[in-house]
Amino acid sequence: MTTDKKTETNLNRRQFLTNASRGACLLGLGGALGALASRAKSDDMVWQLDPYKCIACGNCATYCVLEQSAVKCVHSYAMCGYCELCTGFFEPEPPALNTGAENQLCPTGAIKRTYVEDPYYEYTIDEPLCIGCGKCVKGCNAFGNGSLFLQVRHDRCLNCNECSIAAACPSQAYTRVPASQPYLLKGKDTTA
Amino acid sequence: MNKAEKNSWSARLIIGVLILALFGVLMAAFQMDFTGKKGSQLGGEYDYNLDRLRKIDPALILYQENTAAKIQTGLTRPRTIVLGPENQIFVAGDTSLQIYSAAGKLIKTAALSGPARCLAVAEDGTIYAGLGDHIEVYSPELKQTAVWKSFGEKSILSSLAVRGENVFAADAGSRVVLHYDRAGNLLNQIGRKDPQKNIAGFVIPSPYFDLAVAPDGLLRVVNPGRHRIEAYTFGGELEITWGKFSSEIDGFCGCCNPVNFAMTADGSYVTCEKGLTRIKIYDGQGNFAGVVAGPDAFGKHDAICGEKGANCNEGGLDVAVDAGGKVFILDPYTGEIRVFTHKSGLN
Repeated sequence: MTTDKKTETNLNRRQFLTNASRGACLLGLGGALGALASRAKSDDMVWQLDPYKCIACGNCATYCVLEQSAVKCVHSYAMCGYCELCTGFFEPEPPALNTGAENQLCPTGAIKRTYVEDPYYEYTIDEPLCIGCGKCVKGCNAFGNGSLFLQVRHDRCLNCNECSIAAACPSQAYTRVPASQPYLLKGKDTTA
Repeated sequence: MNKAEKNSWSARLIIGVLILALFGVLMAAFQMDFTGKKGSQLGGEYDYNLDRLRKIDPALILYQENTAAKIQTGLTRPRTIVLGPENQIFVAGDTSLQIYSAAGKLIKTAALSGPARCLAVAEDGTIYAGLGDHIEVYSPELKQTAVWKSFGEKSILSSLAVRGENVFAADAGSRVVLHYDRAGNLLNQIGRKDPQKNIAGFVIPSPYFDLAVAPDGLLRVVNPGRHRIEAYTFGGELEITWGKFSSEIDGFCGCCNPVNFAMTADGSYVTCEKGLTRIKIYDGQGNFAGVVAGPDAFGKHDAICGEKGANCNEGGLDVAVDAGGKVFILDPYTGEIRVFTHKSGLN
């Protein structure tokens, strides 16, 4: 009688553990599916910066939750004047018009200047160096065509539910855009 | 110390630690900025600052504004100002043309077939208007008399001048000056890159490309990307150039300036710059003579420009000068014509 009871108790424990692990698996599967579904839903819309509202205040560089901001400068080549004296590249009073560090506007040296033909130069963004401070954007807007502008790069952005840069944006330039068209570009031929 | 006392002290210690932790959390939360009001907190090297360059030595400012003479055009997007016979003031903007008397009274308005970017008025009162890629001609009674053929798809006419039987059109899109007769026949193209003639070609990074016929009979054309003004014969020979890049007051600042200019009766130049909004005067040889109005005079313009951000490059000021040297400044953002006279009262 005692032995039977013990056997019954062992069976119950085994059953309990089996059932518990099945339940945990189901819960895990459900959780994973839920997370995927939730992710898919949040991917429908992503954060982006309207370049026509942006005032290049610098908040993008410091308010992103990432150590290095997901916001980077991009360049619309279709709008660019390929100026010899690019005010997005050079300090307002450059000692000389060459690539010397003392002449450059970008604090991190993230803009590269390449000679095309007299008097035209091409400017490209070295994205890993860009911190999204927008100093070049201000320079370009002040004198030039505004071909340099900021965008949230979606290879970096975590797409937070509450974007901390959007909350800190003084010009309400942040908006939700469809994930299928995640960039708000100027000009037709815009590339990073 | 008995067990009860020990428990009491432990409880007090835990409560104390919790209160300290709560205080720390509150302090941290208080110092955090979720709204961006504290700014980026980036250092000075991240700041784009033109304040020093905006300040102009008051001794260099030779003109003063006649505020009573200010004209409100009421146009949403005025584009160009020129003076015609009897110092009448012609303004084009939106899709209309306005004509004011020399005293600033609105005399006539006319609807144009589209937005005109540039105007020229002949001595006989014939009006030439540049609309996109072509020129339209209007009689002094504002009846359209001709529509000239477009120079091409790339053509963007940004300035016109008429002298005798010659009409000159600055084509920013094609980067060339088109020389027509008054019947609309294209006679010549001026300023195209030609190393044999020592012509470097026009560099026009932003949509400003101005010209005028000087009292000496030569054509003056801005080469904004090279920060200079060039003089050509009507036959297209380059005669002289002057101008240099400098953010200082005696040069032309930024990527591409001056955006517009006008010539006085004695052959001096009144120039408009964008970026650093300043109106300056140079003598006939291109030597800096003084300032008509500096950035301080255009605070409203610059504030609107700041709000517009990337669209700021559409607000370049236009200028006209009457026979007496009175300077008229058209502000595309405020829709105002502002009048400046020499402080000596000579005009």
